Amino acid sequence: MMQGPAGPSNTVETTAPVLGIGAVGKRFGATRVLQNFTLEVAEGEIVTLLGPSGCGKTTLLRCVAGFWEPNGGTIEIDGQDIVDVPVNRRPVGVVFQSYALFPHLTVARNVGYALRMRNRPRAEVAQRVASVLETVSLTGFENRYPSQLSGGQQQRVAIARVLVMEPRVLLLDEPFNALDAKLRGAMQVELRQLIKRLGLTSIFVTHDQEEALTMSDRIAVMSGGKIEQVASPDEIFDRPATAYVADFIGVSNFWETQAETGHVRLPDGQTVMTDLTGGVKVMTRPHNLRLGPPEAGPWKGTVSFHRNVGPLIEYHVEASDGNVIRVSAMRQERDRPVKDRSQVSLSVIDPASCSVYPG
Amino acid sequence: MAEAAIHRRITPPGFGEQVADALLSGRGIWPAVPAIVVLTVVAVIPFAILLSLGFSDFEISRGAIVSQTFSLAHLTNALTDPLYWITFQRSMNLALSTTALCLLLGYPVAYLFLTGGRWTKRLILVLTIAPLLTSGIVRTYAWLVILGGRGVLNSALLQTGLIDQALRIMNTHWAVLIGMVQIHLPVMILPLIAVMSRHDSRLVEASENLGASRIGTLRTVILPLSVPGIGTGSALVFTLTYTTFVVPQILGGGNYLNAATMIYEQVVFSLEWSKGSVSSLILMVTCLIVLVAIALLTNHFTKWTKGHDA
Amino acid sequence: MKWFRGRSLVDVVGIGLVLAVAVFSLVLLVAPSIIVVVISFDTRAYVTFPPAGFTLRWYKAVFEHGELVEAMLNSLQVGLTVTVLCIVLGVPTALACVRGRFRGTTALSVFVLVPHMVPGIVLGVAVLFAGALVGVSPSIWLQSISITVFIVAVMVRTVQSRLMRLDPALEEAAANLRATPFQSLRTVTFPLLMPAILAGAVFTFVEGFDNLSVAIFTHGFRDRPLPVELLALVQYTSSPIVAAVSGVQIVLAIAALVVVSTSIGLDKVNE
Repeated sequence: MMQGPAGPSNTVETTAPVLGIGAVGKRFGATRVLQNFTLEVAEGEIVTLLGPSGCGKTTLLRCVAGFWEPNGGTIEIDGQDIVDVPVNRRPVGVVFQSYALFPHLTVARNVGYALRMRNRPRAEVAQRVASVLETVSLTGFENRYPSQLSGGQQQRVAIARVLVMEPRVLLLDEPFNALDAKLRGAMQVELRQLIKRLGLTSIFVTHDQEEALTMSDRIAVMSGGKIEQVASPDEIFDRPATAYVADFIGVSNFWETQAETGHVRLPDGQTVMTDLTGGVKVMTRPHNLRLGPPEAGPWKGTVSFHRNVGPLIEYHVEASDGNVIRVSAMRQERDRPVKDRSQVSLSVIDPASCSVYPG
Repeated sequence: MAEAAIHRRITPPGFGEQVADALLSGRGIWPAVPAIVVLTVVAVIPFAILLSLGFSDFEISRGAIVSQTFSLAHLTNALTDPLYWITFQRSMNLALSTTALCLLLGYPVAYLFLTGGRWTKRLILVLTIAPLLTSGIVRTYAWLVILGGRGVLNSALLQTGLIDQALRIMNTHWAVLIGMVQIHLPVMILPLIAVMSRHDSRLVEASENLGASRIGTLRTVILPLSVPGIGTGSALVFTLTYTTFVVPQILGGGNYLNAATMIYEQVVFSLEWSKGSVSSLILMVTCLIVLVAIALLTNHFTKWTKGHDA
Repeated sequence: MKWFRGRSLVDVVGIGLVLAVAVFSLVLLVAPSIIVVVISFDTRAYVTFPPAGFTLRWYKAVFEHGELVEAMLNSLQVGLTVTVLCIVLGVPTALACVRGRFRGTTALSVFVLVPHMVPGIVLGVAVLFAGALVGVSPSIWLQSISITVFIVAVMVRTVQSRLMRLDPALEEAAANLRATPFQSLRTVTFPLLMPAILAGAVFTFVEGFDNLSVAIFTHGFRDRPLPVELLALVQYTSSPIVAAVSGVQIVLAIAALVVVSTSIGLDKVNE
């Protein structure tokens, strides 16, 4: 996250939002897909809508694009409500999941499409198409048809095609789905850098948390048509606001316990501060746990499984209370990994990094 | 400066543009309106008129209907006339036997299509679609050439000494039946192929992998799954053969009367329009009854396979 | 044969029988046309087999036969009229059926199919009688419009099935890229529908050209179309001139087949 924003919350406060979504609702028959959805996106910011399929993220994107009409609420661009503006007059560009490139038009004609629809002079169209194709490094591909391009090239045409009309807001609907795994990572970095360079205000929809963590300035985790948490990727990962977010992003260990006044006691004996009382859920990430010899602490368990995940080793430890706890450790060449079936003790490295949720 | 540009971009369209877009968007019913009007004027209203003429007395003068009064006379006349019964029975027999024979001859072709390679499939498609692009009369004429007294078949049989006197096939029920089957065979094969190509060819492989023989696979997997195609094909072939007059007229030599040739005679030659309208109505109603029966049978058998799968 | 190796006798005989019938049927489909083409080059003036020699005189005779030529021109006119009418009426209807946002899109697609399901002969009689009631007598125009009504369902179905397979995102993309609904129709939907329209045009033209069941009741007294003329010719003469007409038709059919297979592909005809 080299070019992550200094402080996303600051940007929201200092400039008026480019895109303001206020209390938008959307029903299909009796099913409420979006409920009272509110979100503001600042100039040049990339906000990701992240959630499982059916959480309403694509619905919101289609409402902003104008393909569907919300059942209530406002959608404003630069302070102007666009709910009643037809699709073809919204200053919004959509990159579709399937790219939706026109198969019967060449790359140049696909990219120049929006300009021709606005009856721009031929010379201007040619000049702007050439400059956009250069931006996405597709110069020389003008006369190819979409079917003659690779998946990555098709994606760049889809992006060039909306860039040419200089949209105020860019909407990206799972644009990496059609790419194979290897290309995906590279295209994510490339696309984020391009959007940042052009300073485009964007909404990015995905169900893939890695994509979200790579692409976003802020992530809105969605569930059941509502936002669970909106925050920077770091904050979402380190300080998930709800148990749902913690569970959805990354690997998490939960255990249920009782809060005492002002704090919660962890199984290894350490304590975490909390304002909650009664039954609570404590969560921590695998990298905040450490394995030790069985006599080192009170929290004991048996290793049931381990595997290498790149530079890390992930252990599944069956704790004495029955929970399966996941622990990750850096792989070191000198030490042999702890063997399956061996007795270990568990301890939390930094109690302050644990999150406590109401049970 | 960006501000002004943006606001220009978000202005709503003018009234004229809105109307034009609504008309041209294809979201409303209006693009279908011309077709609806034409179909109503040229098909629905004429059917209604045909229906009303079947139940009335009317006079024709110089090709135009001048007076019309309600009457059941023509309908009761037709229903009590043995000629009608014989003719419609003959049509029905001919159509049903043609349909059965087409199914018998067509199904193996569809099976070959399912199991065959790329070129077999192509060949079958060409051989079944090409006839549909030529006129029925031309295809019937071919049978005149083959089955005639000095036709291909007789010359061949006489030359090889299998017979010593020319067979009389032309102008018989057999000539009509042979012609009917050959001409309508593509109409049966195409829906069968359509249904077969919709199913996963791995179903067949799975069945054989599970130990079924090829015949067993055909009987227990392919046949039950192709019932909808059998239904569609039979319905199409039946409708066409029950109501055609080209083949009976040419290969029956003008003395093979089926329902269609009877209507043709009544309307075009003897100008008995009241009889013609009654015959047309009976033709349509009886045809519909058989089609409903085919649909019910198809439904029954597909239900059975569904129950079997579950 | 590798095909039968290691299989039970029942299987070999059973499948052998099925395949034998299949081959028989395929031969049955094509043999008559081949025989007719051979006959059309025969030197003798009456139809017989095998042919005695090679001549093109029957083909020449076709084009010297005034009534036949006139009938061909009539049918050509009917075929073209039917095709144009089917495109004008059918393509927008298919759009309304698939893209329409009103109640009764299904009812509409069924409604279009009804005249096609009714026997052609009944439609012909109905149109003739209805015309008589309002004072419209049979003519080349009545014939054309009747055949259009009979066959427009084929155009609607062909275009409909292509439309249903188009990615709806393409039209959304067009709208997003500033296209008005009409522009989107003209620049995206229509070009992508072209192959289906072309294939539909081939089938509707062939129907207009060859239809007998509707035409025989609705054609103009003086403008006899080719099928009506041929029916008379087949019944009252036995010269190979009809074989020559058949030869011409077979060549046209092959041309039509090539058009269809290159526009939408033969396997798509059948959906």
